[in-house]
Amino acid sequence: MLIFIFFTVGYLIYSRIMAYSLAPTIEPVDLRGLPLWEIPIAYLVNYFYHGWICLLFAFVAAGLVYEFVPKEVITKYMSGGKVTGYGLAIGMAPFLTVCSCTMVPLFAGILYTGAGIGPAITFLLMAPAANILSILLTGEMISWELAGVRIIASVVVALTAGIIISKTPWGKTIEKEHQLNSSSSTSRVEIVKPPLDERLWSALKFGGYIAKQILPFFLLGLVAVSYVEAYLPEDIVGTYLTGVTGVLIASVIGGPLYTPTLVEIVLGKGMWDMGMSKGALLSWLMGQPYDVANALAVSRIVRWKVVLTYMLIAWAGSVIFGLLYGVLSGSL
Amino acid sequence: MKEVTVEVIGVDPPCKRCQATYKSVEETASTLKAKEIDVKIFKLNVQSKDTIAKYGVLVPPALAINNVVKVMGRVPEKKEVERLILATVK
Repeated sequence: MLIFIFFTVGYLIYSRIMAYSLAPTIEPVDLRGLPLWEIPIAYLVNYFYHGWICLLFAFVAAGLVYEFVPKEVITKYMSGGKVTGYGLAIGMAPFLTVCSCTMVPLFAGILYTGAGIGPAITFLLMAPAANILSILLTGEMISWELAGVRIIASVVVALTAGIIISKTPWGKTIEKEHQLNSSSSTSRVEIVKPPLDERLWSALKFGGYIAKQILPFFLLGLVAVSYVEAYLPEDIVGTYLTGVTGVLIASVIGGPLYTPTLVEIVLGKGMWDMGMSKGALLSWLMGQPYDVANALAVSRIVRWKVVLTYMLIAWAGSVIFGLLYGVLSGSL
Repeated sequence: MKEVTVEVIGVDPPCKRCQATYKSVEETASTLKAKEIDVKIFKLNVQSKDTIAKYGVLVPPALAINNVVKVMGRVPEKKEVERLILATVK
């Protein structure tokens, strides 16, 4: 087991040193000449030829981190007041939400305990934007610079949204409605850690579980991307997905198209190759908060007014950061 | 016959990992019957206010044995559940 983990990490480092690209290298021009059914196949073969180690590493790493991150910290300190609440929401969100089914329950939990609605919203926005799996893939496939910017931008946007919502009258109403006054539960949690070999095994199993959940959609997404690359004319991308309009358009379509399956990263990479600006790419990747399924689940707890507020803030944030990053990096 | 209360704390509707946890507790319970231990299994919703008032914010799936959370955020194996229960009863 350890050998397998070392192999995965080692091979990734090796491939980095050898400096070949882990992202697909096939050019849109190559795809255009092919018959319709061959396009996805050529793209997938090319993708997995380069990308398999990156995917394998991402899933193994996600499994390991998720297994070993001390989850009881949340239970212990989440009721410790506002500042700790915000800090924890930002610090822990990236590690806890590899599995999408934990997000809404944790959101509710944070809301009901002492921390209140601000940290809950921060957690909710931070979670999909900066989970380890998507950060790893953004870094490997697009660039580590963009991955870094994405993290910073998510932190700022999530914090702002949390603080603003906790100040609005409707946010306060909801907080009062849900507040529980008993916070004497810490003594009831005593996590028993199993031996290391069992933990490693369970980490790998969890990595496999995430892979099984995500890969089918990921493959479908790749097929879609291959057609986009083959048939979307480059001048359309160049005209509409650059400049200020590019950022605006990317931030708007990024939301509805978002699926928590990493496809947005591949699609973003594809469009970037075709001339999308860096600023627009960042806005595109930051589009998650309009993810409809999550918004629906959350609205059942906090009602639409809060959901709309945080969506608006998150959207504004993605536009502002897209423009800012575009100007600073000279690629608007 | 000794009695143990095991609470499986998950999401409602149950997610796959919560179901897996429930199943491994169920199977352990039937093994432990032979050892004169009666395991009572309850399902708790991690999102309900009662659960949160009792245990605080938890990462599902979680497992509480005799009102103490022992496992959180992962699916325990059968032998792990058995070990935890035996350690509590002893």
